[in-house]
Amino acid sequence: MSTYFKEIFDGLKTFIGGLKLTMHHFRNRKDLVCTLQYPHEKWPVPERHIGFDLEDYNVIRSRLNVDLDDCIGCLSCQRACPVDCIKIETFKVPKDSDFDAGVTSNGTQKKMYVARFSIDMTECMFCNLCTYPCPEDCIYMAGGPNSHRHEVEYEFSKRTREELIFNFAERTEEEILEAGGEKYLAKKKGLPLPEPKAQNPEKKETK
Amino acid sequence: MNSIVNQFISAFSASDIPGGYFTLFATIVIISGLAVFGVMAVTALVAVYFERKVSAFMQDRIGPMEVGIFGFKGGKKFWGGIGQTIADALKLLTKEDIIPRLADRKLMMLAPFIIFGGAFITFVGVPFSEGIVISDFNIGLFYIMAASSIGVIGVILAGWSSNNKWSLYGGMRSAAQIISYEIPIALSLILVVIVVGSLRMTDIVVWQADHRWFIFHSPFAFLAFFIYFISAVAETNRTPFDIPEAESELVAGWMTEYSGFRWAVFFLSEYANMLIVSIVASVVFLGGWLSPFQMFDFGLFPESWMLLDGPIWGLFWIVVKAMILIFVMMWFRWTFPRLRVDQLMTVCWKYLIPFALANVILVSIWELIF
Repeated sequence: MSTYFKEIFDGLKTFIGGLKLTMHHFRNRKDLVCTLQYPHEKWPVPERHIGFDLEDYNVIRSRLNVDLDDCIGCLSCQRACPVDCIKIETFKVPKDSDFDAGVTSNGTQKKMYVARFSIDMTECMFCNLCTYPCPEDCIYMAGGPNSHRHEVEYEFSKRTREELIFNFAERTEEEILEAGGEKYLAKKKGLPLPEPKAQNPEKKETK
Repeated sequence: MNSIVNQFISAFSASDIPGGYFTLFATIVIISGLAVFGVMAVTALVAVYFERKVSAFMQDRIGPMEVGIFGFKGGKKFWGGIGQTIADALKLLTKEDIIPRLADRKLMMLAPFIIFGGAFITFVGVPFSEGIVISDFNIGLFYIMAASSIGVIGVILAGWSSNNKWSLYGGMRSAAQIISYEIPIALSLILVVIVVGSLRMTDIVVWQADHRWFIFHSPFAFLAFFIYFISAVAETNRTPFDIPEAESELVAGWMTEYSGFRWAVFFLSEYANMLIVSIVASVVFLGGWLSPFQMFDFGLFPESWMLLDGPIWGLFWIVVKAMILIFVMMWFRWTFPRLRVDQLMTVCWKYLIPFALANVILVSIWELIF
């Protein structure tokens, strides 16, 4: 009989103890709830530090970026890419045209016009191999030593696959034509080359 | 007695409406039926949202936060996502209603509506305030207990007709559980009948208005309230007594094979049953629609409205009391682990029923002495 009442007493004690615990969590939810409502709130991005100061070491491989103003269209990065996710299309600016392709920040005169520079980030494996051959340092991983050029981007999720193909050279047809890219445009559209016979004799004559 | 049916009947006898008693009957059934269905639907919508939030806070989460009603989410830090249950209900209503090929088709389609009907007709006797009750029988308490037990037939039918071992286990467990826990419920409610001398819900509240809340009648009544409440939690198949639908053992118990609208009907009945047992507990033990301040009425205030009493405030108070009890049920649910089947039966037969029986005898003696 005494065990019977002892069991009741123990049952009540643990019953109340359990209720107290959950009520504690219910009442102190302001301190205890640690859910981060992700799209609305974000953890601050931590400052990455690998223990030693090596400016050249590209620690953070968050996303490839291109300064198209510096690109000379040498296709080194395209050749270096192991997965062929970089697609570059260039054409030579005609010598006789008045179009100036510009000068890079290193002082190199650009001779090629970059008509298309797209990086498919769904294929990119963040190996960073494309950044080393670039003679003008125009392709780089964002963040880290390059944080003055572009902020770290961890969240570039998109709704469709096509949106993950980043186009760094968004050229309109007028811009390409202005740079003298009739042949390039015609090739791209699959049209016959624009008046090759009419142009050739003129060139021959000038020569 | 003042009730919705009586008001209809008096209005009917005063005027000359064509159609005779059939019109009267149809009007009463349709109007009160719609009202009861509205109460059930609103209860389920609010209680599900409330339950998700309570469970989330007790587990250090925040629960639904994103879905709003026309862009109004209801808060940013903790209380948000008020449209979540509406979205869930719409999803449930538009889901495919699957009936297994080897199931007993007729019984399986019928079962949810027996459970729903049991909860539905119970509301006929459940008072919401002074005069806000569909019919105030002279056997009100007995009727509520009897009608709320009809649901177990639907549970067994659902378990049997699904042709699924989990459903059958769930149905049988539910039958054993509900029938066992009817006894402590009846034995603790019979105290109020002994003291008041009436089964009518209004009489019970009038006695409490004249004397005191029944929970403070005697130590035995105080104990009876807890016996009733624990048994009511078991009766509504909620954790820690949710062995009929034990998720980790029986998938979803007797609801395993149900989906879509029929499952939504089960859900609706479950929350309606929660509301019923909470309202019965508050009417029988916690003074029904009486204001809590009415206990401290020492003649200081000449007007009753100063004590926040009356039919309109009565509705408010009964809802508040029921909500508190429903919150306690949710609190139980997110605190205690599920009982084993033998533990469930032990709690009922070895602990609750002896104490309830002793209560009946001791309250009778108490009434003889005082």
